[in-house]
Amino acid sequence: MATQAQITSTPTRTANRRIRQGGFFNQTLPFWLLLPTLLILAAIQFYPGFYSIWLSFQERQGAVWNFVGLRNFERIFGSAAFRESVGHTVVFLVGYVAVTLTAALVIALLLNRRLKLSGVYITLIFIPWVIADVIVGLVFGLLVVPDYGLLSPILSNPTLFPPKGISIPSDPAPRPWIAGLPFPPAPAMYYLILATAWRALPFVTLLVLAALKTVPQEIVESARIDGANGWQTLRFITLPLILPTLVVALFNLTLGGMNGIGLVFTLTRGGPGTATEVLSFLLYTIGFGRLEFGRAAALSVFIAVINLALIVLTLRVSRTEERVA
Amino acid sequence: MFARLPSPREHALRKQVEPWLINSAVIVIVALLLLPIALTLSTSFKREQDVLRRPPVLLPCDDPQGHFRLSACRFVVEGYERVIAPRPDPNALLGVRLTGRMFSTYLPNTVLYALLSSGLVFVLAGFAGYAFSRYRFRGRRALMVAILAITGIPLLTNLLALYQMAVDLRKSGLPGYDERMFIIAVYVGFYLPISVWIVKGFFDTIPRELEEAALIDGCTPIGVLWRIVVPLAMPGLLAAFLLCFVNVWNEFIAGYLLITKRDLRTAMFGMYDFLSQNIINYQVIAAACVLIAAPVVILFLFTRQTFFQAMTEGAVKG
Repeated sequence: MATQAQITSTPTRTANRRIRQGGFFNQTLPFWLLLPTLLILAAIQFYPGFYSIWLSFQERQGAVWNFVGLRNFERIFGSAAFRESVGHTVVFLVGYVAVTLTAALVIALLLNRRLKLSGVYITLIFIPWVIADVIVGLVFGLLVVPDYGLLSPILSNPTLFPPKGISIPSDPAPRPWIAGLPFPPAPAMYYLILATAWRALPFVTLLVLAALKTVPQEIVESARIDGANGWQTLRFITLPLILPTLVVALFNLTLGGMNGIGLVFTLTRGGPGTATEVLSFLLYTIGFGRLEFGRAAALSVFIAVINLALIVLTLRVSRTEERVA
Repeated sequence: MFARLPSPREHALRKQVEPWLINSAVIVIVALLLLPIALTLSTSFKREQDVLRRPPVLLPCDDPQGHFRLSACRFVVEGYERVIAPRPDPNALLGVRLTGRMFSTYLPNTVLYALLSSGLVFVLAGFAGYAFSRYRFRGRRALMVAILAITGIPLLTNLLALYQMAVDLRKSGLPGYDERMFIIAVYVGFYLPISVWIVKGFFDTIPRELEEAALIDGCTPIGVLWRIVVPLAMPGLLAAFLLCFVNVWNEFIAGYLLITKRDLRTAMFGMYDFLSQNIINYQVIAAACVLIAAPVVILFLFTRQTFFQAMTEGAVKG
């Protein structure tokens, strides 16, 4: 500390003195600057967070809330709907994250080749990202309307999809499931994954592309000179170097997939049957469809715990500590 | 010393062919990705009888003999007309009143909420970002990590509590309380954390010496913020504004659940509502999709540099 004071240049010292002499308001300026933000975050983020936890231990009887201990949790975790929904969510997340990450990696690798039109391509690829998820759901829904949707001739083609073609809005998932997971999923689940991935792809592509740009060209070139082929350079040089970004993207996608609801709302509404009823939609159904607030709150606490774990992992991987400095 | 290098001719050939191959691959990918948008555009300009054809046609351009002819194209704006529903009204601006609910009610609400919440985010993120970037105080690191962590928290898990809060506030009979205030506060609360990080990143790039010089010249700290820092950090502040604007524009579930009065609902509710009204009128749904998505797509196309900068700055990156 002492050394730092000695190093500090004269102008800075004068400036600091000015701030110090500036009266109470100027001395506590950072506090006043932060106050509105902290108040808003307390009201809209922290208070509802704790309110949800409180709600999860309550049950409404008439106009009053009664403390029921862990009964909401017991009932939600014990319900078949929850167990099925966890299965749907796992299948959805695995498919969605795998499709998005793979596609984003391929596109980013192609775009990283310093093409003349890179800027144009990136802009065009990015358009889906600014389209609302509700609209994406409607757009993809219109394409597969039986008989009239523009993709319906392909989907109902018995040669492509034996024995009699498929209908995304109405074909249920085949049973029994494999190992307790709803696999193979209903056609609607594949389609939901496709639509969700379509919207998330631009952001992940941009993230991966930014990481690829930080890979030093000298390392890649020297690997080439040492005789590594394209695949080996990718596998042993490029991928390890961008691994942190891929992991962050993975957590980001999982977080978004867990909590996205607009697309499910307009594309499948959880159907056909319950084939695409992921946890976020189940939360909506229990809370606002059946108005069972206590049980829905227990479910949202469960989702929030997973969210927090994902956030902590993201912060760890992206080495936030260094960035905060 | 070197592994086998391609012969000069081989090398030259590769250099010539490779860009073509990669470019065509990228063009195919881009075309595939934009296909849903193109098909929606095509549907939105069809007549009802062309939408309801079996098998469906990509473009309504076939003549009675079934041959494709450009001159036979039947594109109409009927779908758009039914969304907007313009009625002549001598008292209205330009002599036309837009009577479709989407344009008379929902879209103006969305614009209002988006502008007000991103305006607030602009100011508050500016304040907080500046404090984090320039001052060292106790608890600073913990606060910043907390705000970064909140960035990741989605609306979904807080919805029940926010809904209950909205119910309580409505019942409390607070003088001057308006549902619109609550929804704007919710949007600010959810898009502020990421904005604080974006703006702080921009403030960090502005050299301190500039401010110190101004302080020595007799400027007050607030004056320095207003006259020196804000103009220099404008790209970051605008990025936060735009990101919040697009997010609020596109937000559905909070607007749907927290707003009870039909006249205060948003465009995304209007889109969802179309599902229940226009079961057969696919061209109307498509036209509404185009109309509501177009403003933010155009906004993005004009400001894409700001967007990309904000996203790489604000994104939690490795």
